[in-house]
Amino acid sequence: MLENITTALGLLFEPMRLLALFAGMLAGMVFGMLPGLGGVAAVSILLPFIYLMDSYSGLAMLLGAISVIYTADTITSVLLGAPGSPASAPTAIEGHALAKQGKASLALGVGFLASMVGGLFGALILSVAIPIAGPLVLALGTPELFMFALVGLCFAASMVGKDIVVGLAAACFGILLGVVGAAPAAANYRFIFGQSYLMDGLSLPIVALGLFAVAELIGMVAAGGGIAGKPMTMGKWGESFREFWRSRWLIVRSSIIGIFGGFVPAVGASASTWIAYGHAMSSTKDKRRFGKGEIRGVAGAEGANNATVISDLVPTMLFSVPGGPAAAIFLGALFSFGFYPGPRMVSETPDLMYMIVWSVALASVMGAALCFAVTPYLARLTRINFALIAAPLLLIMVAGAYQGTQTFGDILALLVLGVIGWLMKNAGWPRAPVLVGFVLATPMEQYFWLTTQIHGFTWLTRPGVLIIASLIIVPMLLGLVRKWRARRTSTSADSSGPANHIASDDEAPRDTAILLLASSLLLVTFAYAFYEMLGFRSNARLMPALGIVPGLLLSVYILGRQLYRLGRQGRIIHLGSRQELPVLAGILAYGVAMWLIGFNLATPLLLAWLLLKCAGMRYVSAALYGGIVYATTLGMFALMRLTPPPGSWLSLPMPW
Amino acid sequence: MFTQLPVLKMLSAAVLIAAGGLASSHVMAEDFYEGKTIQMVVPFGEGGATYVAAKFLEPFLEKHLPGNPRVNVQTRPGGGSILGANWFAQNAEPDGETILFTTSSTSNPYVLGMDAVEYDLAAMRPAYSLPFGAVIYVSPRTGIDSPAGLKEPDMPLIYGGIAAAASDLPTLLAFELLELDIQTVLGFDGRGPARLSFERGETNIDFQFTPAYMSQVVDMVEAGSAVPIMTGGSVGEDGVLSARDAAFPDYPSVYEVYEELYGEAPSGVEWDAFQSIGAVTFNYGLTAYLPEGTPDEILEIFEQTIAAINDDPEYQERSVNAVGGYSLLPASDVTESLSEALQPSDEVREHLRTLLSEKYDVDL
Repeated sequence: MLENITTALGLLFEPMRLLALFAGMLAGMVFGMLPGLGGVAAVSILLPFIYLMDSYSGLAMLLGAISVIYTADTITSVLLGAPGSPASAPTAIEGHALAKQGKASLALGVGFLASMVGGLFGALILSVAIPIAGPLVLALGTPELFMFALVGLCFAASMVGKDIVVGLAAACFGILLGVVGAAPAAANYRFIFGQSYLMDGLSLPIVALGLFAVAELIGMVAAGGGIAGKPMTMGKWGESFREFWRSRWLIVRSSIIGIFGGFVPAVGASASTWIAYGHAMSSTKDKRRFGKGEIRGVAGAEGANNATVISDLVPTMLFSVPGGPAAAIFLGALFSFGFYPGPRMVSETPDLMYMIVWSVALASVMGAALCFAVTPYLARLTRINFALIAAPLLLIMVAGAYQGTQTFGDILALLVLGVIGWLMKNAGWPRAPVLVGFVLATPMEQYFWLTTQIHGFTWLTRPGVLIIASLIIVPMLLGLVRKWRARRTSTSADSSGPANHIASDDEAPRDTAILLLASSLLLVTFAYAFYEMLGFRSNARLMPALGIVPGLLLSVYILGRQLYRLGRQGRIIHLGSRQELPVLAGILAYGVAMWLIGFNLATPLLLAWLLLKCAGMRYVSAALYGGIVYATTLGMFALMRLTPPPGSWLSLPMPW
Repeated sequence: MFTQLPVLKMLSAAVLIAAGGLASSHVMAEDFYEGKTIQMVVPFGEGGATYVAAKFLEPFLEKHLPGNPRVNVQTRPGGGSILGANWFAQNAEPDGETILFTTSSTSNPYVLGMDAVEYDLAAMRPAYSLPFGAVIYVSPRTGIDSPAGLKEPDMPLIYGGIAAAASDLPTLLAFELLELDIQTVLGFDGRGPARLSFERGETNIDFQFTPAYMSQVVDMVEAGSAVPIMTGGSVGEDGVLSARDAAFPDYPSVYEVYEELYGEAPSGVEWDAFQSIGAVTFNYGLTAYLPEGTPDEILEIFEQTIAAINDDPEYQERSVNAVGGYSLLPASDVTESLSEALQPSDEVREHLRTLLSEKYDVDL
């Protein structure tokens, strides 16, 4: 075995292969940083190129990209508050809050280091566990997979924020988004409105982009100025190393949680991150800072998500069942190079296995180092007028969304979700629960029906199920006991109560009109969904009902509460959200223009509006900068081998 | 490489057509594709079985098509392949430069007449097919060691699948035809997860397409944890889905199993339904379609190219692992039989729709 390990290192240290690994890493970093273009985009763009190389170089290139995605997307999560994937949502919540307090370098530094540790742990597990992980993966049957999804949802729900009613309603809305498309247990299409676009359901990158990135972009363009209120001091990493060392055991434990997540296909990544986040919360004595910038939340989540993406490769290589979309593409690449994943591949080509381990380990360390190196430069971007960054960012988001199915449906879904995200943001409603509900709805429903069909109700007594269930119940009981004790020892000295919270962003007064509009829309949506749901077959109805029925009740309550408050407090007009309306309208107009005259003609109009009107650039410099952005975007479309959206009324052909 | 009748038949057909075609279009075919790029549209995501097969064929097409064009595999996933096929129907020109490479996921909704389908597959012109066989196997715990045992298992049979109207359809129709008592659990998100469930002992009868069978199930068979029973079969000389699968000459086809169980050849609407869907899923598993109205010259070019690829020793060597070792079927072998399978009689169509909506609760 030792011999194989060194041979594999020798194999990787061929200049071509190292170069390929490095190129993959760079691509992974760039795509990890660009909102909405995560691992899948990076790997699918690299895919055509790997066929030009030998098998080891090609695989090293893909592994380089896969290993650094979750390290690099820490940057976007922290600086923009837009998570690249649900697995980074905790980082976006805690890290972005820290960035707003001027502590971006702390959040980033700890995030990078935790990611690196997660990656190294993943590599370690790959090297030792692959020969023995088979039975473990097989021990997790459909009931355990269902429980894992349920635990993920519970942990996510436990941190919906202070306004539990709104948080739960948001999670219900996420479930509603998640059940769009074909039902797994009955051949029933739900909420597709006759559109074949919706048959496969909404795609995750588009939901994440729409809910978070579009809304943040609108807010920042409207506010003018840079991303950060205060100038960020970057490059002083000392504090983050100290904080990293303080949380070292938390990161190790989170990495182990992440590794188990990787063994669970499909549910793994997002569930394990939330479980690690929940663990960070329960292992921290002072929980008040969670949701407002707690560095331990970042440490836990980042340690877990990078470990997951790497241990995803265990089921991929042992059973050719990929854990996530990026692993699925990696699997295809293995097939193409004539490697056929399975126990036989592991025992027959140990060199390949250890080459994979080395690639992952090397990329994790170098990726973290590279992130440290580039962050000070990126941080400078946060001080220039955001409208300048918004232009390329919006175009990248359009390209990322359009990569989904290459139909106008992608753009429409992005814009509709963008409006929803904007409304939620300005109503002060948390958006992370939507994402979690969306991601976990499908596997929960699928595994629930598989479980009951295969096992009847005996699955409830399976040891694995009981162990996983204890993950939910034990912390809950411990919390109750702690509360009870606290009440007994000091009934009066409760000074750490919610009374002396600093008024955070969440508690700022909200525009009454926006709140009313959002609450009514929510009610109308749930009411319509309820009506539609009655027509579903019973097997297709259960999961939607779990989201829609509570959602309907909660939204009635929310609207009622809103009307009551309106009666008591009177109208509040919050100028912030009003100022954003023109920007929102501008972006929607861009969508309409794209539909009418196509991407190639609509984009120069968008650039002119953003650069001249919003950023106040002079004509010459705007033309120069806009030209560069436009050309780069078209180049990116060409690289992804996509034809930009054509117009339905007028269409300018591609210049080549 | 497997040397059996269909291949020989196919080669002779290719030679005949080639001889006929040479006289008229020889000069034009010589460099027809020179400097051109062929877009091969795969209506599924990167990394899937169809994508892998398309990428496998790409260099061979580039090498053997006259004028050595670039072949570009382009993915257009969505709607269970319907979106990509719709796009192809609306946008592809009949100039031989855009090809739709797809599976029964595209043809089943067409055969069943689903609303979302905006393509007329039977009007398109198949350029070539790559068979995509499948083996049905059981767990040794069921006590089944031969097809006859399917009728008297030691324990209830339980099958895990994706969705009745998808790639599970031919298997379910085979169970229907053989009148087997099998509990069907649908909702897995791929054949891989369904196989994991079999390995965990949650299900006890399963099927895998040839490439996955070779890389995953062969080991299980050797270890004694899986027992192969039958294959979907392949289309024989008589145009009936009765012959053995070229990749698994030792295992009987569904047709033979029926004969063994009931002492007569299968017939009737149940058989017609299985044959129609089974042929498209297995024998013409991966088919390259050219748009409606593509001129004969282009099809002749493909006819010759496919014969050349089948003769290429490198193809013969690499195809064993990559795609199960099947030879490509040229248009002359595909067109007629595929067209029949895509346009079953109203009776068969009605049978399929009734079965799916009543037994499997499919909303058509």
